[in-house]
Amino acid sequence: MHEVDLTAVKPYADHIGDGLVQMSFTLPVPYSLAARRAALELASAMGFSEPEVVHYEQLTEGYTYFVMFGRCTQTVDFAAMQGEGFDIEYMSEDEIEAFAQEHLGRKIVVVGASTGSDTHSVGIDAMLNLKGYHGHHGLEGYRSFETFNLGSQVPNSVLLAKAIEVGADAVLVSQTVTQQNLHVHNLTELVEMVEAEGMRGRMILACGGPRVSNELAKELGYDAGFSKGTEPHHLATFIVRELAARVSATG
Amino acid sequence: MLSELTASSKRLALVGLAKNTGKTVALAALLRELKDRDRPIGVTSVGRDGEEHDVIDARIEKPSVHLSAGSLVATTDSLLRASGIPYEPLEETAVRTPLGRVLIARLRETGTVEVAGPSVAADVRSTSDAMLAHGAEQVLIDGAVDRRAASSPDVADGLVMSTGSVLSDDISEIVLQTRDAIDLVRLPNADDGSAAGHRLRELVGNPGDGEASDASRASMLVCEDLQSVALPPRFVLTSDAEQIAQVLDANPTVRWLTIPGAVPDRFLRSLVHPVHHRRRELVVVVSDPTKVFLWKRGPEWYRRQGIHLQTLNDIQLEALTVNPVAPQSHCFDSARLRALLREAIPDVPIFDVLDPDYPGLRQPAPAV
Repeated sequence: MHEVDLTAVKPYADHIGDGLVQMSFTLPVPYSLAARRAALELASAMGFSEPEVVHYEQLTEGYTYFVMFGRCTQTVDFAAMQGEGFDIEYMSEDEIEAFAQEHLGRKIVVVGASTGSDTHSVGIDAMLNLKGYHGHHGLEGYRSFETFNLGSQVPNSVLLAKAIEVGADAVLVSQTVTQQNLHVHNLTELVEMVEAEGMRGRMILACGGPRVSNELAKELGYDAGFSKGTEPHHLATFIVRELAARVSATG
Repeated sequence: MLSELTASSKRLALVGLAKNTGKTVALAALLRELKDRDRPIGVTSVGRDGEEHDVIDARIEKPSVHLSAGSLVATTDSLLRASGIPYEPLEETAVRTPLGRVLIARLRETGTVEVAGPSVAADVRSTSDAMLAHGAEQVLIDGAVDRRAASSPDVADGLVMSTGSVLSDDISEIVLQTRDAIDLVRLPNADDGSAAGHRLRELVGNPGDGEASDASRASMLVCEDLQSVALPPRFVLTSDAEQIAQVLDANPTVRWLTIPGAVPDRFLRSLVHPVHHRRRELVVVVSDPTKVFLWKRGPEWYRRQGIHLQTLNDIQLEALTVNPVAPQSHCFDSARLRALLREAIPDVPIFDVLDPDYPGLRQPAPAV
């Protein structure tokens, strides 16, 4: 087997280093040989070598859908990235309960909501409610967590008031709608209000949503950002580890 | 020039009215003007600076942060290493961000570094003070998005604000929004040296130099005779117009409302009707302007409704910078935009640091 060079990583399909990528996209052109030709040229322009159309079909009048293969010619230095960010390994639910018991010895209070005009509660429900997501139950089902899910369309000031009232250790905000970057203003306003209330040092702030990342979280002033694919125990792992670190830092 | 106007601020905050109003461009201009100083400049960012592409819109290329040899910087270990510039680590802070732990370092060579310092206001203050203690002449604190917390007098001594065409495709709307934001930053001071002023300061908490204000105190209604009544906890965060009306009716001679914590726009809007209806005037006294969260209406509009926003701790606004370009969208003539802003906001120096007229571009910064 090929040794992986972590300083020059590229995609692979059949063997390490082949660079093979599968991609799909739609072009707003009629289904035709010319459309196929356009897709090949576009893939070349994107930097793929040996582009290949493996499937294409008419989506609707005037639109063609493609599935393509191509070889990626770029590499990335993964070795340089390993020190970055919260490089955490996720604990299982049992491990989280044991860790919380050992390091904190009390219930961890979490308040969550989908804020502003956002009506989508699916993200916050998946993280907090008992039924959870993807076969993992939400924080409500943990012995070591006490959760308050305020639902959707919650004003930032109301979420903050609840967090102060119940002495929240962590506040979770979900933002699904991202038109005109509404989520950005909503998210920064909450951080600034928490600062204005003098509570920023006492609360972990995490945000989640399809367009949220740790880079965005940093820009907005959150402690972490969670995106698609996050399961409740990922979030729980972050909260217990972060709280334990804060407890040990303040003695 | 920007650097001359801001020289007296040991900790200078750069805050934008929105993303892409040119905060980092203003920072770059300051660094260019300050590069020949004897003593080093310290730089930190509340968000992330000098990244190649915008984190919200990847089509937008960001200005890079070019630092002279000897500069101090607060950023994460991995970003320092990624810069490839040799550096001397001075202090490992206790501050952790989603991108890693923050380190204070001195650059041994000139170069470009991605800056991601502390995000939390109290950490920004302690990190800035640490850089001053390590010999920095001045610390520049770059903001992120539209976040203002780092411009609080609890954190910074001076402020440069940035505005730009990104606010609207209607030039008069840009001017109005900017004027409202400046009005907010420069709220009148409630402490006129009288007994009333002294009482208000007592109620909100009077932070000493470098000491953070205490937002956990109760909000108070203060009557003409300076008698005060505490409002229930979190009243300002949660109350509606009806609850406010009840409180006003129970205290007919109330003149001031002191709020040590956050003042959401929702609350101010709920105040309007009860105050107006009772033909009252109410002075809302805050610890500093960063505690007030306005959406569409500025302080002037609220004043006309009988609600007077006042502060106890002033923000020192040094200058306003203007970015006439809205990335991926539209742009206005820089001179025209600046002229309109100057007319609406006559007493603040206004610059476009990329315009050929800007003095910092015409001549190299004089060595000191």
